[in-house]
Amino acid sequence: MSNFSLSSRSARDVAVLMPKGYINDMGAVSLERTSEQMLGKGMNSLIVNFSNVQYINTIGVSIFTGMVQKTLEHRSVLCFTNMKKAHRDVFEMMGLIKHVMVFADEDDALAFLKRKG
Amino acid sequence: MADRKLDLKRLMFSMASLADLGEEATSSKDLSSKMRAALYVITGMFSVPSAALFLYHPQRHYLELLVDKGQRDKALQGITMPILSEQIKRLRPNDPQTARDLAGHAFYQRNRGLWTKLQIEMFLPLFVKGEFVGAVALGRKLGGAPFRAAEKDVLRIVAHQMAITLHNARLFLDLAEKAAENKKLYTRMQRIYHDTVEAFAAAIDAKDEYTKEHSYRVASYAVAIARELGWKKQDIEGIYIAGLLHDIGKIIVDVKVIKKTETLSAPEICEIRKHPQISYDILSKIKFPWKDIGKFVLHHHERLDGTGYPNCLKEAELSDGVKILALVDAFDAMTSNRPYRDKLPLEKAFQEVMRCKGTQFDSKITNTFFRILHKELNGEIKEPQILPHLQETDMRNIKALASGLAM
Ligand SMILES: [Fe+2]
Repeated sequence: MSNFSLSSRSARDVAVLMPKGYINDMGAVSLERTSEQMLGKGMNSLIVNFSNVQYINTIGVSIFTGMVQKTLEHRSVLCFTNMKKAHRDVFEMMGLIKHVMVFADEDDALAFLKRKG
Repeated sequence: MADRKLDLKRLMFSMASLADLGEEATSSKDLSSKMRAALYVITGMFSVPSAALFLYHPQRHYLELLVDKGQRDKALQGITMPILSEQIKRLRPNDPQTARDLAGHAFYQRNRGLWTKLQIEMFLPLFVKGEFVGAVALGRKLGGAPFRAAEKDVLRIVAHQMAITLHNARLFLDLAEKAAENKKLYTRMQRIYHDTVEAFAAAIDAKDEYTKEHSYRVASYAVAIARELGWKKQDIEGIYIAGLLHDIGKIIVDVKVIKKTETLSAPEICEIRKHPQISYDILSKIKFPWKDIGKFVLHHHERLDGTGYPNCLKEAELSDGVKILALVDAFDAMTSNRPYRDKLPLEKAFQEVMRCKGTQFDSKITNTFFRILHKELNGEIKEPQILPHLQETDMRNIKALASGLAM
């Protein structure tokens, strides 16, 4: 039984994804699929809010690697917000962090995207 | 210093990932789900966005794409890469190899198109005890950095683990394939059995024009009762076969006795009463896939009150199968013409069965028989097994009778 759920919302060309629980098995693949769909629908920016994420393992890293790759292909912006130090360390170690924009919280990210236009 | 710390952290992460991989590999998921999860673990370990996993088919000499991740083309599953035995020998087992490593290989040259399409950066041939089982193909790392020496070491461990998983999975697939083949063989064998048995039944009935198709009707009625009693499919088949063959012993009885129209002499009665034992002797030599066929035929002339033959068994010693055959055999005898008498009208036959209920025929079986007849007359049974064999002009009368007798 997967300990993961995902909610998402979008306004204009920004989509916010709120994963919840453990990103450590194939139950979390919906995160990758949903982000791909959002990009396909023409979203220019994706925000992933990590507030409710507890644990990320290798499968999780693979899912985010896929997300990063897809945003690069679509020339879109990928923002990570509300990350715990442990999450940040993993992404840094795996070389993902340089492909995403990190913000303290969702508002910061939205404000930045608004400024950017 | 910072670099070394990072290396150590990476090593720790790799160790944890290997544990994840082990967990996925031994999970109870089906092969594709298991392999997809394993592929996610591997791609996560090296931040590789795209990858594929291939299964080797030795008889077909190709690698088949089992699962993939992050490919632009969404319809890659099942795609193949031909590879010959001598080409396999040139691969370094469980060792990561780049396109440049394989540039001179016929295998690479032959599959260059797919190689480019999948953007394969690292090819990992999987071997178990020298046997080639499949391969993992990894794309470029995110950001395009080359695989470092330490990462290649981890890849070697990954290869061993994946090779074993794939090997076990293939053993399982082979077993499943064999099981399917066996089932097909079994079905075919059963058909041959049926054909043979039906040929025998026809031979039995042919000996006496009066008993023509008697065996078929007995088998058909017996199946109807067994089904109504909720017997298992296998046992229903068994009683069908027993019904077809119950009189096989008559093949040996002198045809003159069988066809005699006058009352039989004592020695002739003795002769004809041998047929259940002869049937048993013939059939007990055959290893049928159904149980109790021999016993059913041996006792089909026994009676509840112990006055039957050949063993004068009493009610408690008779199985349901025997009781069914005893009833339907006698009922069909009553309702067909015999050399020594004309058939009874259906009404009379019913009365005769009712008269012998409890002495010759078992009550539960008899009641079941009438219940089926009643249902068949009311059209409650989709494929009637008894009614089509009964030629009767006044069906209305029969309907009233059967409904009165059904319990
Ligand atoms: Fe008989």
